[in-house]
Amino acid sequence: MLNNSFFYFFTLSLFKNRKRYFAIVTISTLVIFLLSSVLFLSDSIKYSINSQLELEPDLIVQKRLGGRVVPLDESIVDTIAEIYGVSQVTKRVYGRYYFDKEYSALIFGVDFLDEQSSKALAKLLNREDLKRFLSSESMLVGEGVFNYFKSHFYPKAYNFLTPSGKIKSVKILKVLDRRSNLFSNNLIILPQELAKEILGLKSNEISDIALNVPNPDEAANIQRKLEGLFLNAFISGKREMQKEYENLFNYKGGLFLALYLIVVMTLSLILYQRYSLANSLEKREVAILRSLGWSIKDLLGLKALENIMLVLFSFTLGLFLGYLYVFILKAPLLSELFLGKNLQTQIEFLPHIDYLSLATIFILYATTFLSAVLIPVWRVATTEPKEALS
Amino acid sequence: MNPLFLNNQVIVYLFSEAALLALTILLFAKIVKFLWFWDFRSYSNRQLKLEKEAYLAMTIATLLFTLKSVLLIFFVHTIDKLSLIIPGAMCAAGVISANSYGMDLLFIKLTVIFTLLLFLIANSYDLQAKTYPLFRFKSWVLIIASGLIFIEFFLDISYFTHIDTSTPVSCCSALFGNLEGANPLPFGLDITKLLLLFYMLYLGTIIALTLETKTITLLTLLLFGVIAYYGVVYFFGTYIYELPTHKCPFCMLQREYYYVGYLLWGSLFFGLFFGVIWVIMSQVGYNITKAKWASMLLLTLFVALCSLYVAIYYSKNGVLL
Repeated sequence: MLNNSFFYFFTLSLFKNRKRYFAIVTISTLVIFLLSSVLFLSDSIKYSINSQLELEPDLIVQKRLGGRVVPLDESIVDTIAEIYGVSQVTKRVYGRYYFDKEYSALIFGVDFLDEQSSKALAKLLNREDLKRFLSSESMLVGEGVFNYFKSHFYPKAYNFLTPSGKIKSVKILKVLDRRSNLFSNNLIILPQELAKEILGLKSNEISDIALNVPNPDEAANIQRKLEGLFLNAFISGKREMQKEYENLFNYKGGLFLALYLIVVMTLSLILYQRYSLANSLEKREVAILRSLGWSIKDLLGLKALENIMLVLFSFTLGLFLGYLYVFILKAPLLSELFLGKNLQTQIEFLPHIDYLSLATIFILYATTFLSAVLIPVWRVATTEPKEALS
Repeated sequence: MNPLFLNNQVIVYLFSEAALLALTILLFAKIVKFLWFWDFRSYSNRQLKLEKEAYLAMTIATLLFTLKSVLLIFFVHTIDKLSLIIPGAMCAAGVISANSYGMDLLFIKLTVIFTLLLFLIANSYDLQAKTYPLFRFKSWVLIIASGLIFIEFFLDISYFTHIDTSTPVSCCSALFGNLEGANPLPFGLDITKLLLLFYMLYLGTIIALTLETKTITLLTLLLFGVIAYYGVVYFFGTYIYELPTHKCPFCMLQREYYYVGYLLWGSLFFGLFFGVIWVIMSQVGYNITKAKWASMLLLTLFVALCSLYVAIYYSKNGVLL
């Protein structure tokens, strides 16, 4: 059956009946578009977060009193560095600075004596900038922060109010690259001593300690050692963070999908209705083919091929539109749902498509579509020629 | 609520399985009607209607076969992804053995695909002969298939509801690898004997298929299936991973190994399927040489692929693992 003239006939009939399929393709494309844009968006954010998480330290040591994170004493760093199997122990100083009730930024202090952070900084700044950064009291700011400063008439420097009541003027050295806006939009990078002053930490205090464990098999063991190091120690790991993010995204995406299933069920009902109302023209077509000697099996094959083409066509079109909407038009409206409103500048979504997501969309759609149209299609294909032509 | 049920893939997977279950229930009802009322010599209205409905059953079975095959691959991928949120798991092996339903579920899935394939082949021969000689046979095959799909759906639900995301599971090297000296192989075999048996059973299968001896073919096919599974997990797999301690049937399905697992397991299972189908079909009077050749070809491909990994490793490194 599957020979050249069959396919010729198939294409002809597909073109001739394109009006009949128009409504079906439109509504299916819309449904695919909705799902694919949500999944593209969440995949892109997930990808950015995961690639950022890869750079995160393996373990973080904090001190918690009654659930609150409190500053650590610096001297503990040397004890941790002596544990076997631990590398790149870094002191970290960070905290949130509230400009007013609504707007806040993350302040991050960089230690220049620390090899790793100075390397990372060297990537952001060239040599001259680095010199200026070290010699004067200056900062690197994310785009969101910079826009805030500009709108409040601080285009060159900002006067921070320290917890002790003093005013600290800090120059703006550079605005960070907008490609990393998801993380750096509300970020201020400062030399560590300056950051301590603005955040109200004493000179021997730090926020927490980050460290790496090159051999993953030892991570659990080292975690136990760290927990025994001092009272109220709280150790968190990278893997736990990955799991938390995964669960968070599953929650947002899953909630959407659970509601979306209702849409899919509606689609299947519409399709069932639409296919059940096969007009007399279609029945007559089937009748003519049967009287020309086509078997029911051939007709079912033709109809199956027709519907598979429809599925593939609307799937591709819907995906294409979803891609356009998310990565070219930057997903207006939808991005606010995912990211919240506190980000004030545009975020660059890195085009990243997870093939499993594509498979997910396709399976959901193909199963629904084909199951819904199966019975009506069979009914049309088995129409008796005598019934249809009379 | 179990956080797994918010995972996109799990939702879509269970939804699709439920949609297919609805079709299966319809199919089952039709088949029962066929077995009850089918009388090809009758010219009654009912018989004519039944003959039309037979086409519906056929279409549903074709759709089920296609979508179940796709869903099997999707399922394996999904549980592989789930290893991120289940503590201790590093690939699908850990997740699938998170509870006792997992392995049964995989086995049932393969059996469902096998029975549906058997139906499709029987059906195509049945339609060629104008008098539906195989009608009762293929109906019973579908009854079995739908029964298996009911069990499969039950296992699907049980499997996903019984995964606990707080208790750690084992990773594949703990499941298959370091068993502290205990011999994981059946019948007290060691690796040399296993390999000997592997190649001998392969040869035996090919000879039995060539000589068309049904009982021996069935026996060698089943034994070869078991031995091939152990052979891949405990010997050939280590050459795919190029690591003597990495023993896992699932990791080879991942991108790091160029998805070779699909080709490997696919050629093994479909080789076995076609072989068994040849035996069953010749039992009902149809000697399908195509199925026989397909079986021999796929099994040969499987054995060649396995051996090739070992040969390439040896030629590169000059030693065996």
